[in-house]
Amino acid sequence: MVTREDVENIALLSKLFVPEEELDGLTASMQEIIDFADAINNAPVSDEGFDNINNLSNVFREDEVVPSYPASEILKNAPEQAEDHFLVRNRE
Amino acid sequence: MGSIAKIHEMLQSKQVSCTELTKSYLEEIEKANGELNAYVCVTPDEALQTAAAVDKKIAAGEEIGLLEGVPMALKDNMSTKGIDTTCCSKILSGYKPIYDATVWEILKAQNAVMLGKTNMDEFAMGSSCENSCFGGAMNPFNTCHVAGGSSGGAASAVGGNIAAYGLGSDTGGSIRQPASFCGVVGLKPTYGAVSRYGLIAYASSLDQIGPITKSVEDASLVFDAIAKQDKRDSTSLGAVGGTTYDKLNNDIKGMKIGIAREYLDGVRDDVKEAVLAAAKVYESLGAEIVYFDLPVLKFALPVYYIIACAEASSNLGRYDGIRYGYKTAHYTGTHDMICRTRSEGFGEEVKRRILLGTYVLSAGYYDAYYKKATDLRGTIIKAFNDAFTHCDVILAPTVPMTAFEKGHAVSDPVETYLTDICTVPVNIAGLPGVSVPCGFNADGMPIGMQLIGKSFGEATILNAAYQYQQAAPEQFKDTKWGVKL
Amino acid sequence: MGCKAVKYELVSGFETHIELSTKTKIFCGCTTQFGGEPNTHCCPVCIGLPGTLPVLNREVVRFAIKAGLAVHGKIAEVAKMDRKNYCYPDLAKAYQISQLYEPLIIGGYIELNSGRKIRLHHIHIEEDAGKLLHQHGDTYVDYNRGGVPLIEIVSEPDIRSIDEAKEYVEKLQQVMRWVGISDCKMQEGSMRCDVNISVRPEGTEAFGTRTEIKNMNSITNIARAMAYEYERQVDLIESGGKVVQETLRFDDATGTTSSMRSKEDAHDYRYFRDPDLVTINVPRDEVEALRAEMPELPGEKFERYVDDYDIPEKDAALLTKYRNISAYFDKAIEGVKSPKTVSNFIIGQIFRRVETESDKEVFAVATSPEQLNELVKLLDSGKIRNNLAKATLEKMLDSGKGALEFISESDMGGVDDNALLALCKAAVEGNPKAVEDFKNGKEKAIKALVGNVMKNSRGKADAVAAEAKIKELIG
Repeated sequence: MVTREDVENIALLSKLFVPEEELDGLTASMQEIIDFADAINNAPVSDEGFDNINNLSNVFREDEVVPSYPASEILKNAPEQAEDHFLVRNRE
Repeated sequence: MGSIAKIHEMLQSKQVSCTELTKSYLEEIEKANGELNAYVCVTPDEALQTAAAVDKKIAAGEEIGLLEGVPMALKDNMSTKGIDTTCCSKILSGYKPIYDATVWEILKAQNAVMLGKTNMDEFAMGSSCENSCFGGAMNPFNTCHVAGGSSGGAASAVGGNIAAYGLGSDTGGSIRQPASFCGVVGLKPTYGAVSRYGLIAYASSLDQIGPITKSVEDASLVFDAIAKQDKRDSTSLGAVGGTTYDKLNNDIKGMKIGIAREYLDGVRDDVKEAVLAAAKVYESLGAEIVYFDLPVLKFALPVYYIIACAEASSNLGRYDGIRYGYKTAHYTGTHDMICRTRSEGFGEEVKRRILLGTYVLSAGYYDAYYKKATDLRGTIIKAFNDAFTHCDVILAPTVPMTAFEKGHAVSDPVETYLTDICTVPVNIAGLPGVSVPCGFNADGMPIGMQLIGKSFGEATILNAAYQYQQAAPEQFKDTKWGVKL
Repeated sequence: MGCKAVKYELVSGFETHIELSTKTKIFCGCTTQFGGEPNTHCCPVCIGLPGTLPVLNREVVRFAIKAGLAVHGKIAEVAKMDRKNYCYPDLAKAYQISQLYEPLIIGGYIELNSGRKIRLHHIHIEEDAGKLLHQHGDTYVDYNRGGVPLIEIVSEPDIRSIDEAKEYVEKLQQVMRWVGISDCKMQEGSMRCDVNISVRPEGTEAFGTRTEIKNMNSITNIARAMAYEYERQVDLIESGGKVVQETLRFDDATGTTSSMRSKEDAHDYRYFRDPDLVTINVPRDEVEALRAEMPELPGEKFERYVDDYDIPEKDAALLTKYRNISAYFDKAIEGVKSPKTVSNFIIGQIFRRVETESDKEVFAVATSPEQLNELVKLLDSGKIRNNLAKATLEKMLDSGKGALEFISESDMGGVDDNALLALCKAAVEGNPKAVEDFKNGKEKAIKALVGNVMKNSRGKADAVAAEAKIKELIG
């Protein structure tokens, strides 16, 4: 059972605003999707288990330095920047 | 002969210069894109630059590679240095990556001529391409119908002959479904065959890049080119099954082609008939059709949505307006800025899946949903392994229906999810699947069938697909659009 | 606290983050060097650009295993990486790649001088976050530190006092430096502690509600914060209140703790297996190979110095505080009669020249352990005496030259047994008065006789041997 509170909570975790007026609609549609997902509850649990596709293990890099990017490149797409830092300017 | 081989021959034999060819593609894009909306970004300068380089080589009498100078397109979720890469989302508006995706690095090194970036459902979440912030891509067979999704732009561009081939990505059917809707070939490789480095993640354990092409040969050629192990992707293995192009002409006498009854449940009659007709064609080629049950398939869809949304909710957390992309104009404090940016930047379907994914991972629900779904993933893999003890290839519809009319898909989420029912099992199990045109419905809209292979069995399914293409060329119809070779 | 009707016991567990001193970050090839111009130790992977993927640094796993062996932990055969999801500007991907379900190291302990063992729950590997700078409300973000490898050492709530807490952190710091996986500089943030603390009436079993003080970066502040928090919790309970489980920040200036909680972080990390990284299998032979490479640990050395060389525990602790000191000591005692003498020279004279902790850690001394060894052997053989040796060592430390540069032939040679016997006989015969006094129980009288021997041997005789001989002669 998906409640308004559930939706408010996951919205907060997801860093999304849900306008008060949309809350009920969203709760309902979440409920619909969850009901549909609940189908797996009566699925037979086999002991196969799952690790990762192709069961890979021990893929590593060696500890060798690769030149970093210049700050100008790193910051290229920043909506706001200052003094070679990414910036969130206080708008309060 | 496939389009790529044909273009290669034309270039090498100087019937046409790469620049001329590229220009004609760019002109056709000009004409067609208004209606097809296949491209969200066209890159004429880069394209003509590469074309010139290729012409130089040819003029110098050098041998050129098979993909060299062939005009193509990339789905807009593949990172291209200095070229907009937006996933067709407002939240990535203006984002110009500072690095190239491995697949693009490979093709660039072979002088592939990129015409531009193709349309898609926002972050590859959708089956109609209508969840794109640029509006949906349309179907070249009938532009009142959608191209499908999420790689709708690539399928539309290839079907509309405004790209010789395209690269798409497939998380739950996003290559095969639009290929089926647009009457072209779409290959979803085995998980790990193609590097995901630079592919903007939707669901990391399900995503794979693959070709969308006019013919099976083309799909095979492109797959052989991009299936390389990449040390930047820990899950990449390359073409474990070897190359495929050289194995296309193996005859399929005695090949066991399996049909799982569950795949035909709830499939529209015209689609079912077309697939069963294709089975007949295979019998005429000496293959043996075996029917079997795959009951676990009925859990595939919920398992897919739980896993995909869970991973997506994590993968999409990074879009916060700080490092790249869209940032809200008005806010009070960092938390508020992030929430506004995300609420304004993401579309409805993306938000819905982020919330669902957050829900199934959150305290108290993890075991019931995410954990259970992951366990079932093991069960589904086992079921496929068992199935492949009685057959070499599985034949199924790609989509239970044909391309729907625009504006038709987005009504009810769950109902829309059902269109993925035939495609998601392959992603859950990490298997290769290729969609091939196998007929047309009463309105002349294409129907696609899907050939599913064992892990790294690309050569087998592509050869089977090729044999069908040779036997039933009438199913591979061209459209009125684009460049005529 | 003594005046309280009920006595309260402090219960504490630590979560300690230690930056590993690998060359590169945990998932990309960027350098881990401290500092650097902002955002210059970054690449698409460590700023989490869309489409990038992590690849695990092999050395991080090896370092973590060494850490595990250093604290007697069990090295898991299978370990996996998980995502810890939370959205904060210093976390480029909005998740931290860490380990929850299957960490690399399980269990282990740190043994305190009291012999009490502080048990460890586990040790896991993870990535560090970037740095935030707040200036008049603006937030500046630098990702140089983002992706630097960390181990998090999670202890059981076994700590029962502030002193134990301090010793636990010091011991952890000592052993991790010792095995060379981190410099553990708290001031630079390469070692940080989250302190979990609760109180309960003495003699009771049930744990009280705990609070967590985040990001402590000095042992002094750990002690201050714990003292404050203990008092706060006890007062709260005494006044009929209840301790609320929450995370706290410690204010250095006021010496008080305050809640970090804000409605913005509803904490639910939604951990799940990271699909971008594959399973880690740790072959046993690799663990054994690493175990073989491990140096003798400070605890073991301490025991050995005390038991085998009967060095006082206080001195043994000083010798084993840093690996370089004990290495110096081990070299210097090769083949000497009394390692204690060497220890005294090091702690007495050499330490005066390496005062700061960082100097002690480096322990760059003008006199090589071999040179000290040579000096001590001269002493052992009776060729020189202690005060000459002391003076010589000072000259050696000043100049870096060997002992023989300062000790002339004439200073040496000592006095052989026959010569000594002769000298003693002479002294006894020449001083009947002193002999009488001694016989009448005037112990001190013997000193006069020994002094006579020393004088006539121009200070070369062994005073101890001389005294023994004289006593023999007098009978």
